[in-house]
Amino acid sequence: MANLELPLQSRMFANDGIAIAPIGSLERVSLRADDSAFASIEKVLGLTLPKKPKTSVTKDDRTALWIGPDEWLILGQDNASLMQAFGKLRSQKFSAVDVSHRNCAIQISGENAVMVLNTGCPQDLSLKAFPVGACSRTVYAKAEIILLRTGENEFHLECWRSFSDYVWKFLLDSATSL
Amino acid sequence: MRKFSGFAVVREAMRAHKGWAEQWNTPEPRKQYDVIIVGAGGHGLATAYYLAKEFGITNVAVLEKGWLGGGNTGRNTTIIRSNYLYDESAGIYNHALKLWEGLSQELNYNVMFSQRGVMMLAHNVHDVQVSKRHVHANRLNGVDNEWLTPQQVKDYCPPINIGKSVRYPIVGAALQRRGGVARHDAVAWGYARAAADMGVHIIQNCEVKGINRGSDGAVTGVETTRGTINAKKVGVVAAGHTSVLMEMAGVQMPLESFPLQALVSEPVKPILPCVVMSSSVHAYISQSDKGELVIGAGTDQYASYSQTGSMHILTDTLEAICEVFPIFSRMKMMRSWGGIVDVTPDRSPILAKTPVSGLFVNCGWGTGGFKATPGSGNVFAHTIAKDEPHKINAGFTLERFRNGRLIDEAAAAAVAH
Amino acid sequence: MLLIHCPYCEEDRPELEFHGAGEAHMERPKNMGDISPEDFEKFFFIRENRKGLVFERWRHLHGCGRFFNAARHSVSDKFICTYKAGEPKPELSDEQIAAVLPPAKGTPANEPIVSKGDAK
Repeated sequence: MANLELPLQSRMFANDGIAIAPIGSLERVSLRADDSAFASIEKVLGLTLPKKPKTSVTKDDRTALWIGPDEWLILGQDNASLMQAFGKLRSQKFSAVDVSHRNCAIQISGENAVMVLNTGCPQDLSLKAFPVGACSRTVYAKAEIILLRTGENEFHLECWRSFSDYVWKFLLDSATSL
Repeated sequence: MRKFSGFAVVREAMRAHKGWAEQWNTPEPRKQYDVIIVGAGGHGLATAYYLAKEFGITNVAVLEKGWLGGGNTGRNTTIIRSNYLYDESAGIYNHALKLWEGLSQELNYNVMFSQRGVMMLAHNVHDVQVSKRHVHANRLNGVDNEWLTPQQVKDYCPPINIGKSVRYPIVGAALQRRGGVARHDAVAWGYARAAADMGVHIIQNCEVKGINRGSDGAVTGVETTRGTINAKKVGVVAAGHTSVLMEMAGVQMPLESFPLQALVSEPVKPILPCVVMSSSVHAYISQSDKGELVIGAGTDQYASYSQTGSMHILTDTLEAICEVFPIFSRMKMMRSWGGIVDVTPDRSPILAKTPVSGLFVNCGWGTGGFKATPGSGNVFAHTIAKDEPHKINAGFTLERFRNGRLIDEAAAAAVAH
Repeated sequence: MLLIHCPYCEEDRPELEFHGAGEAHMERPKNMGDISPEDFEKFFFIRENRKGLVFERWRHLHGCGRFFNAARHSVSDKFICTYKAGEPKPELSDEQIAAVLPPAKGTPANEPIVSKGDAK
């Protein structure tokens, strides 16, 4: 059996007001769905899909992030069996793709988290504009990311594996330049 | 025209410099000319100069809505090269380069043409393949271009970083030794002075508001903010504003006008001996005789006539520069600005007759017009004087977008597009 | 940096998240293989490239990913409004247009500054 190696394994950074750490493996599904499929999807997933832009819904160990009017990223803990859940659906208009290993995730926390993220992300990340639970696909420096605010001073950043080294180093460069 | 010379400098110094003549005058526009050129940029003034010099057509007005040379001619990063891919392009850019080589002498005006070499960096397999293809194509067309190894790149340009640990290491470069830079303002002023001396009228503060046509559809003249001016031949050489002007004659163009920004650093002692361009890392740089680093890159992404653009274009460009030249990372940038570049779908210019009799157009140079200034003016003058394109600009038609004979120079136009 | 209002995300976002996609309302011919070279040229290459009020496409590439349209002034670069793909070109009021015009006084660099003293 093959061993799964996480792209940012054993990296870590912490300093005054900032901590950057890789998040362990997650199940991830990239979902596109027509309105007509919502009810069935919500039933098998066990949570409502967020319908408002820039919002997310978390229930137990699963989170659904609004990415676009018909697009979501569903995150689940390792044994969430998300794809099996979708597998129960028949003749609905949707597409569910397992991207668990396409992405990796980084947690950025501390009172300087917003500052460090803003060195690469041009969005307004104040609590008012980007409250806890807010999420968005956006850019961080030259990489595309999905950003989710999980706490007042805590963010969950998703990026593609091949960009992880770049994103990590950019975060580190910002954190050490504070 | 009183000739410039070392003797003239001494003579005038003895007279407290009160004897220098005006370089060009400010005539009132006549009611009628043989030719009207719309746009007193480098290309327009060069056209007027060659109309007078080579074809004896001096009853010419160059109309300019602002001040001469105040558009893209005064805003570019002054790079001169002729290492484009296709035969047609090699033809016109090399024709221009040969004219550059004698221009200061011909105009009796120091345009500060410096053939310090233009180096185009290759950072990956694709760059190497494209560059070598260009080198071979150029040599077949009699254009100088040679391939350098990374060490040769470093020898030619010492401040460059050829380290292996950068994101885009330099794996080689194509060098055109005859390429270089010139002083952009001087080119406009040199052509203006020489053309005015032969009787050409340069009418500034005169905006064209309409193009008049007779009952047979042929051009009869223009409406301007200073009145009607008639001519049987009108040449539009107005870069970013070409679509606006051609619309006045009912001609639709395959052009989009984008902002192109550039910036200069504080002046420093000579450090950069040549011009360096990189498509992959995305920037180009040279050092002016004043000592400033002159830097540019690609256009902003939306069509605009604002002559300004977004800040991230500049910061991305400077990041690219620092990648290739870490030595410049602490330079202070002094000034930035923008122009309006008219871009064609195949990144090649249009120097042609139009469907309207008597109306000629010279446009579509995009981000690469300055290098062609003398060549463009020269063959455009021929096109207007003879009512037929010169063989050098024969391929740069307006029809090519209908008959498919595109000249695709997206790669050679390089960073800029 | 431009701030562009994405009609799907329902908020202003920075230009870095977007990709400009050219002139709007260019209807793609349904019979591409049959049309004349003139009509093909018109669709593929000819552009209005207006100096003034323009209708253009944008894509919120690094955001919701959707295409949408915008009405903008191409001298002041100010946006009047954005609207979802498929919606018709909006009717714009005189007030809306006046709000995005470039300043009458204080000219872009190459506009002429006419003064009587210039002519000799």
